[in-house]
Amino acid sequence: MGVTAAALEARGVTKRFPGVVANDHVSFDVRRGEVHTLLGENGAGKSTLASILCGLYRPDEGSLWRNGGELRLSSPRAGLANGIAMVHQHFRLVDRFTVAENVVLGRRNLPFVLSAARLEDEVRAVADQFGLPLDPRAIVGELSAGERQRVEIVKALYQGADVLLLDEPTALLAPPEVEKLFVTVRAMVAAGKSIVFVSHKLAEVVDISDRITVMRGGKVTGSVARGEADARRLAELMVGREIHLDRRRARRDVGDVLLSVSQLHLERDGVEVLHDVNFDVRAGEIVGIAGVAGNGQRDIAEVVAGILVPSDGGVTVCGHPTTGSGARGTRRAGLSYVPEDRLGTGLAPSLSIVDNLVLTRDRGFIVDRDTARSDALRYIDELEIKTPGPDTPTRKLSGGNAQKVLLARELVAMSGARVLVVSSPTRGLDVGAVEAVHELLDTARAEGRAILLISEDLEEVLTLADRVLVLYRGRIVHDSPGVDDDVEAIGRAMAGLVA
Amino acid sequence: MIVAGRRIQLEARLVTPKWLAFVVPVVSIVVALVIGAVFLLATGHAPLRAYADLLDNGYTSFYGITDTLGLATPLICTGLAAAFAFRMNLYNIGEEGQLYLGMIGGAWAGIAIAGSLPKVLAIPTVLLAGAAAGALWVAVPAFLRARLGTSEIVSTLLLNYVALNLVNYLIFGSRGFFRDPTTSFPQGRTVEPSVRLGALSFFTDKRTNTYPTLFIAALLAVALYWLIKRSNYGYETAVFADSPSTARYAGMNAMWLQSSVLLVSGAIAGVGGAMYVIGPAGKVDPGLLQIGLGYAGIVVAALARYNFLAVILTAVLFAGLRVGGSALQASSDPVPIAIAVVLQGAVLLLALGGEIFRRNRLRVVKVVTA
Repeated sequence: MGVTAAALEARGVTKRFPGVVANDHVSFDVRRGEVHTLLGENGAGKSTLASILCGLYRPDEGSLWRNGGELRLSSPRAGLANGIAMVHQHFRLVDRFTVAENVVLGRRNLPFVLSAARLEDEVRAVADQFGLPLDPRAIVGELSAGERQRVEIVKALYQGADVLLLDEPTALLAPPEVEKLFVTVRAMVAAGKSIVFVSHKLAEVVDISDRITVMRGGKVTGSVARGEADARRLAELMVGREIHLDRRRARRDVGDVLLSVSQLHLERDGVEVLHDVNFDVRAGEIVGIAGVAGNGQRDIAEVVAGILVPSDGGVTVCGHPTTGSGARGTRRAGLSYVPEDRLGTGLAPSLSIVDNLVLTRDRGFIVDRDTARSDALRYIDELEIKTPGPDTPTRKLSGGNAQKVLLARELVAMSGARVLVVSSPTRGLDVGAVEAVHELLDTARAEGRAILLISEDLEEVLTLADRVLVLYRGRIVHDSPGVDDDVEAIGRAMAGLVA
Repeated sequence: MIVAGRRIQLEARLVTPKWLAFVVPVVSIVVALVIGAVFLLATGHAPLRAYADLLDNGYTSFYGITDTLGLATPLICTGLAAAFAFRMNLYNIGEEGQLYLGMIGGAWAGIAIAGSLPKVLAIPTVLLAGAAAGALWVAVPAFLRARLGTSEIVSTLLLNYVALNLVNYLIFGSRGFFRDPTTSFPQGRTVEPSVRLGALSFFTDKRTNTYPTLFIAALLAVALYWLIKRSNYGYETAVFADSPSTARYAGMNAMWLQSSVLLVSGAIAGVGGAMYVIGPAGKVDPGLLQIGLGYAGIVVAALARYNFLAVILTAVLFAGLRVGGSALQASSDPVPIAIAVVLQGAVLLLALGGEIFRRNRLRVVKVVTA
């Protein structure tokens, strides 16, 4: 056995799912005391590899090695028995239990009578050792996303894990919490733990990683060590081609006002959630609404799309007042709406791609699925939607492919819709998919459509929008062309620092 | 479960092979028969003999299969009613009561039109009256559900008892419209012969218990299947069942969808009750209260996995178990009814439980000791 036998290694691992090879002879290893990042687009196979490493899936071919010895894992519990733990993107905690109760939950040999104080002390000891600030008595349901993640990590450490697989750990975290997570990761590495960091966020992994392995289409496309990591090079490995991250701007003059929102007020349960919102969107322009989540973005989108009825004020689409005419009436006036919640709202998750394409069409008494099917086949081809076929339920698609189905329906198929309302169109998508979505929006603008882009991703708004509005507590508090000089003012407006 | 150093575990299937849809029910029934055999042996009966009797009395003999088809006819209706609501996640447990109301509504129409319509119009009128009465019986739960979100499970269930007492009142408690005025014996007033259909003879000179309403029930299943697969209404209900938020986004009317599905469900059960008037009973017959066709319809729908065409088959299967099971009591080696019920229960439980093997597969894994 060599001196530097990997803490955990996958050798030539292959895993097939119906219609797709998720991992194709993948080799990967993580050493003691290092952070090895697994980078790749959604659907690249990194979650599958992580699931194999922790014992959730069994590989069809290849083997796992732990400290130089071969390892067969039959379940995540077996993985844990071997010191391997996965911290899932979506937390698996009991909301009504305390932190300590959640942490000891997975332990098998609990005494019949539990001493809360003793358990709390044990949990606190583990948390303190790795610099994880955590109150063992806090109720998990009352914690923030970052704190819950810390509970998951402490739980893994408490159960004796020394290889931790963190699956998209920053997906749900606010920026300051990401920073805290990185402190924790460094503390764990310093204590000799091995960390596998699974992510598709290129920018943030460069700092934290000792090594970065990039996956694409189920294969490893490259591996770089700290210091060699260059964002553009990694991006190329991820998407397999040069990508453009530059700013897009309208190249033509804007036309008539197609969407007009005036003096919009919305009250819910006696609370005013939108206050005197006014703006126009013209043909051939993208108006971006920036803002921190929860400041009324969804309400604006739903009022404009006719799903919510405003308490006061009105919406005009292509010259037709649409207030009170409902989602269908607003759509007939020429508006199409891409909601931020893809699978829960924009698409019916258990229904096929074909069935989802007819969702916002006038269907008559008999649903015409033949046309929808040929449309589906065309979009799958044109937009490079990765799917076994047009009858696949949309919940089985990756985020980016689901979004493409949604955009195909609302942008491409609804070519008569001159007004688009698009909410967080790239949230959770990988670099390649983001690029594809931005391309579609840019094309729609060039066709002379009026686009309202509502996004919590300021960079996206700045990249795409010709005009930037900032929404804060249901009010528009800033309006500017969004050029470089405006960025500081936009940031201040988003934080509520407006006179 | 660990056996001989190997762990047996269930793993979710990513795709379900088509053949499993047939194999799993068949294996389930075989296992159920084995379990039934244990009980039969324990009570001193020959299992194979009893099964041969059951098969003969329930399915293969002329009177066996015709009795079964006769019982299956209203059962198809209550099965369709349950399937129609359940696939929308609306749990209408009130098919039993809606069936009774359908019988009352059908009898009312049958007595009221009293030969003033030709048969081709009279029969549909009776069926529609039954449908209307069934729908009416679920109208209040439907309104409460769509408007206030009240659980339809509780409200429809409780109305079953009201319906049961209503039938008893009409026949035993009052001397009203539905009671036979010609005799002091409490029984229902028979409807005009012009609104009744004779039993089928199947090209023999024998009298069976199967009525032409069987074909109406089967047609209804085909029509509903088409409605759900092809029509916009079927599409909207499928979207709503999958994701109410998506339906709202698309501008669908949730209140209309929820209430209409419950009303249609009640109407289908009501048609089943009216068929009882057209066919075997010809009147409001408290005998229907003993059969439990409404609750059985829920089981039939679940066995069919809410597929309307499969409801026809599962209704016949279920009816045959009933008919054959009760015939066992009267055979040369009488089997107590309790054992017949055990057998029915085992078949149904295993057929439903077999679902788990359709969705998951068994894997045998060597246990690794770390």
